[in-house]
Amino acid sequence: MKSGTVLRKVCALVALVVASALHIAHAEPYLAVREGLKCASCHFNPTGGGMRNVFGNAYAQTALPARRIEGAGTEAWTGMLNSFVALGGNLRTNATYTDVPHNPSTNEFDIEEMRAYLAVIPIPDRLAVYVDQRLAPGGSTNLEAFARYTSKGQQWNFQAGQFFLPYGLRIQDDTAFIRQVTGINFTTPDRGVQVGYEATSWTAQLAVTNGAAGGDETDEGKQVSLRGEYVQNVWRFGAGFNHNHTDAGNRQMQGLFAGVRIGPVVWLGEADYIMDRTLGPTERKQWVGLLEANWLMVKGQNLKLTAEYFDPDTDVDEDEQNRFSLVWEHFPIQFLQLRVGARIYDGIPQNDQQNRRFYFAQVHGFF
Amino acid sequence: MRKAKLCALCTTCLLAACAGDGRGLDENGRPLGESSGGALQPDFKSIQDNVFTPVCTACHAGAAAPLGLRLDEGASYALLVNAPSVEVPSMLRVQPGNPDASYLIQKLEGTAAVGGRMPLNLPPLPQETIAVIRQWITDGAANTMAAGGSANSRFELVQLTAISPARNETVSAPVRDVVITSNVELDTSLMQSNLIELRASGGDGSFDSGNEHDVPVDAVVRSDLPTVLAITPRVAPLAADSYELRIRGTDPVAMADLQARPIDGDGDGAPGGDFVLRFTVEMAQ
Repeated sequence: MKSGTVLRKVCALVALVVASALHIAHAEPYLAVREGLKCASCHFNPTGGGMRNVFGNAYAQTALPARRIEGAGTEAWTGMLNSFVALGGNLRTNATYTDVPHNPSTNEFDIEEMRAYLAVIPIPDRLAVYVDQRLAPGGSTNLEAFARYTSKGQQWNFQAGQFFLPYGLRIQDDTAFIRQVTGINFTTPDRGVQVGYEATSWTAQLAVTNGAAGGDETDEGKQVSLRGEYVQNVWRFGAGFNHNHTDAGNRQMQGLFAGVRIGPVVWLGEADYIMDRTLGPTERKQWVGLLEANWLMVKGQNLKLTAEYFDPDTDVDEDEQNRFSLVWEHFPIQFLQLRVGARIYDGIPQNDQQNRRFYFAQVHGFF
Repeated sequence: MRKAKLCALCTTCLLAACAGDGRGLDENGRPLGESSGGALQPDFKSIQDNVFTPVCTACHAGAAAPLGLRLDEGASYALLVNAPSVEVPSMLRVQPGNPDASYLIQKLEGTAAVGGRMPLNLPPLPQETIAVIRQWITDGAANTMAAGGSANSRFELVQLTAISPARNETVSAPVRDVVITSNVELDTSLMQSNLIELRASGGDGSFDSGNEHDVPVDAVVRSDLPTVLAITPRVAPLAADSYELRIRGTDPVAMADLQARPIDGDGDGAPGGDFVLRFTVEMAQ
């Protein structure tokens, strides 16, 4: 009786949010493509990642898990403590095994990250202050801290502070080439201002930041990031641009990304071309690419196959690198994800790190 | 639908066939002869070639380097040795002679108070590798690159960089010294010619209102190759105020390197011009 009551509340919550076409969204890009939604549907950040909103939490309790279990209370978690304050968090803890050629293999337990999110919304739907704090491992580190104003029609938003930059697919894996090589990932927030535009099928952001990846600004140059995405029910297409002007030289990236749902499989793709004047005496040109298939095996289980490509210098032959990943992701119950995977690196034979094997099992709790 | 799946699978296979075979390249993926790594030794060039470049620059390179820490060749030394950590500003990333007090070692060993162990999300460096870096620091953390970085260095001008405080920074912690680095070795004998002056604004944040006053300073050379200067107020820490540090880059006597090339202080791409650093101190104690 009690469980039925809670489930009805959650379903009602989801239905209410969907029906009112308010915030709808996802945790990872493949989920967004699978549902035909924008990142802002599930996340506080319009470009995804970080704290989930009311719909995101409802989605995590209904659509994501293989089954739902009931707690002692009758209330469903929405993240909202009241009309003005929201909380959230992520904990990822791993058991890993790493095999680097010509080196002893290693295995260890570690905490990948514990992050806590707090949003204070003094004017609902219009003004919010948001903090994303990395609490572990090690001491506390601020990742995001910004104030955001949203226009009356919810079409425009303006934020200032420290935040993750808008560019490409914001996938969870920071070690993916498109995240690591571009330098735009969950370890490199930047300080500045951002304006965002949200329409029925469009989402776009323009940010001007220090270009110091969270460090202190050391010159007068600034970084400009632009991301636009056109979202349809089963496919989407987007483009990104980033230019960082520094005393050490300029760095410019441009890329295209896309997603499409074909039956039970969601395909994601991104390609970026990077021109970097900061890596040597001459401009270095690089390519990175990602192609990922996400197969919804049954409800609550996803199989992810990823192939990546990295050309560190287009003027140098035979230096290209690949990475392949196979990851099984299981949501046994709400707010809990189990992941088991392997990542195979394939690079030049002279470099052992470029040919390592990495296996992991992860427990991911979130709320 | 079947056609689309086939197309995607073909694309995946194409991607998979693209890894380089490494012919004509060194272990860092650079053409042979461009740099030489060799076995890891406790000297900076060897550590750069065997650790920083192949491992750390996967993230810590270029304009997008996390926390501004670039470990690519030509920038790494100036941003490591005697440079304060961003995460724990009271610690130097590398304190010559003291590996235990060097934040770099703490980050590599996973004992730092803030953030994760480096390399992030990768296996830790072998203990033997960390031991070599420790030995390099114990030995004084000398720069064994050629002056001005390596042969690949882009530095053609003599440039200064404000490490701490940064340019236009508002500092909420006590400031006991101002750390400036050069991209080359400076002729530090010139410092006897009163090239460096520090002025306080007098409380109004302006430096042309007539109420400024000079703050007596001493300049200490913390390291050479490239030169790291610590400019220390004789009465420290600095009182809460706005400050302007000026290092002369124009006649009659200009700061210059060992080849007598004046600094490009004003950053206009040509030798000459004063280096001016302005910052504000909010807290004196």
